[in-house]
Amino acid sequence: MVKNTRAAKTFRTVWMAVLMLFLYAPILIMIALSFNASVSRSQWTGFTLDWYVKLFNDPAILGALKTTIEVAVIATIISTVIGTLGAIGMHSMGSGMTNVLINVSYLPMTTPDIVTGVSLMLMYLFCHVPLGKWTMIFAHIAFDIPYVLFSVMPKLRQMNPNLYEAALDLGCKPLQALWKVIIPEITPGIFTGALLAFTMSLDDFVISYFTSSDMYPNLSRIVYSSTKLGVKPTMYALSTLMFITILILLVLVNRRTKLENL
Amino acid sequence: MVQDTRLIELKGVCKNFGDTQVLRDVDLYIRKCEFITLLGPSGCGKTTLLRIIGGFEMPSSGEVLFEGKDMTGIPPYKRRINTVFQKYALFGHLNVFDNIAFGLNLKTPEQMGVKTKKEKKEEIARRVHRMLKLVKMEGYEKRSIDALSGGQQQRIAIARALVNEPEVLLLDEPLGALDLKLRKEMQLELKAMQQQLGITFIYVTHDQEEALTMSDTIAVINGGRIQQIDNPKRIYDEPVNAFVADFIGESNIVDGVMLEDDLVKFSGVEFQCVDEGFDTNEPVDVVIRPEDIMIVGEDVGMLTGTVQSVIFKGVHYEMMVESGERTWKVHSTTMQPVGTSVGMTIVPYNIHIMRKATTADAVPVQDKTNKEA
Repeated sequence: MVKNTRAAKTFRTVWMAVLMLFLYAPILIMIALSFNASVSRSQWTGFTLDWYVKLFNDPAILGALKTTIEVAVIATIISTVIGTLGAIGMHSMGSGMTNVLINVSYLPMTTPDIVTGVSLMLMYLFCHVPLGKWTMIFAHIAFDIPYVLFSVMPKLRQMNPNLYEAALDLGCKPLQALWKVIIPEITPGIFTGALLAFTMSLDDFVISYFTSSDMYPNLSRIVYSSTKLGVKPTMYALSTLMFITILILLVLVNRRTKLENL
Repeated sequence: MVQDTRLIELKGVCKNFGDTQVLRDVDLYIRKCEFITLLGPSGCGKTTLLRIIGGFEMPSSGEVLFEGKDMTGIPPYKRRINTVFQKYALFGHLNVFDNIAFGLNLKTPEQMGVKTKKEKKEEIARRVHRMLKLVKMEGYEKRSIDALSGGQQQRIAIARALVNEPEVLLLDEPLGALDLKLRKEMQLELKAMQQQLGITFIYVTHDQEEALTMSDTIAVINGGRIQQIDNPKRIYDEPVNAFVADFIGESNIVDGVMLEDDLVKFSGVEFQCVDEGFDTNEPVDVVIRPEDIMIVGEDVGMLTGTVQSVIFKGVHYEMMVESGERTWKVHSTTMQPVGTSVGMTIVPYNIHIMRKATTADAVPVQDKTNKEA
């Protein structure tokens, strides 16, 4: 341990500041510029909310916002159902099989987005499915499922193993026991999983880029294509809003996981 | 009172998990209104046996009969049996009332003996209230499960099972997590409940004292086999083999030789006993309870020895007395100081002779005469 001298204290503070600066400086600059009255990036000419107003009057951006939310909502609902049922199935298998399946399900989470995106695109092209909103939604479902799986599995493991049997014992048929006892018992995990899936959907650019087309742009695609023509401050405003939304969602997920582990 | 009707009958039940044989050829019948305890060390197969009766496990071979009808393949939700699980397994998302009402809510109004849904609701409320009264938890209807202590959760688990009016209640070490005082209270309460409701209880425990206190009948299980089925008194007084003698209460178990009927030799001394039907010079296990050894004067004792240690146990003193090759455990209300030379006598009917047998070979036959209380 470093001794608690003044020098050490100062060093620690400075180090922390540098670290935070590295992590957040780009975003802070972007947020600042989104309130800059000037279009120029090098001049501060006063505070304004004009860019935000413009943002909400731009039909292209509003359309992209609608697409993004639509994709995220549909993908979240479907992946939550598939992921939850999958987790319950995996949990009830023998431990050997469960471990294999867990590792197989981890893989998509660690695969680089670009690989996932390109491979999904190839699959769609191979099957002659035209790229559009639904190909994007299915891609999102695919990468959302592991997040649901890994939020629900710990809840199942914590659960008293006799609960299912207790439900049968009291007269439930297997499906009734699932619906009346198991699902309510793991609801916190399902909710966390859904929240995480929704966040990941909103957050995604790379996979969406490869699995959709310019006909159905989502927000991140709009930001990306606008950079080709020189970035307008409305994009700073849009990115700021996206950043804050994701931040809030992640804080929510973190607080939920902490509370559940108490 | 225990009736003669056989409610549940197990015939040649075996259970394997992979290569492990958990139950070997178990024959057992359970009578109406009987309080039967499956007693044995952990891993002996007693819980598996209970789970087979409950329908949570299928036997690998053998039959389970309920009132003479085969119920081997019947799922738990179709059996007139309810279970109190080891860790209660209460539903955390429901309050006390809804936990107890869970089984009743699944029934149709007709099954509850009423006509409309409204009447069913009232009937459920009535029955839940009656159960809460039975387990002494009135007024707890709206509490959440998390807000209850272990003992209270236990009571709710019992109420949740009993409210369905099962013919048989299975209890899997239900008092294991409670402290000693609470456990003793609950033992008496459970016994009283069973007698009041007049239903069959099948109780699993590894606690021999608990088994002796509550049961009409005890089945001692070891290594997947039933070692002895009898009433508590006979299990204690007449253990059939060294395992049962050792597991139930404390025992001195020594090697002996049966010289003739009613005469056994151990520790180099011949003793009168009350056991017959052994071969001449057949080696046997001799079991003597510590409280059955009387300390007498050195000159009049059948065995003599020196007191090695004395421990005060509350009601009695436990003394270890060294005599020749071995040390005897003796319980007595009078204390002999360490180092004293003492004599020991044992009356013939307190000497229990057991055939030498590996525990796995012992297959007891359950006959009615054994089970008279």
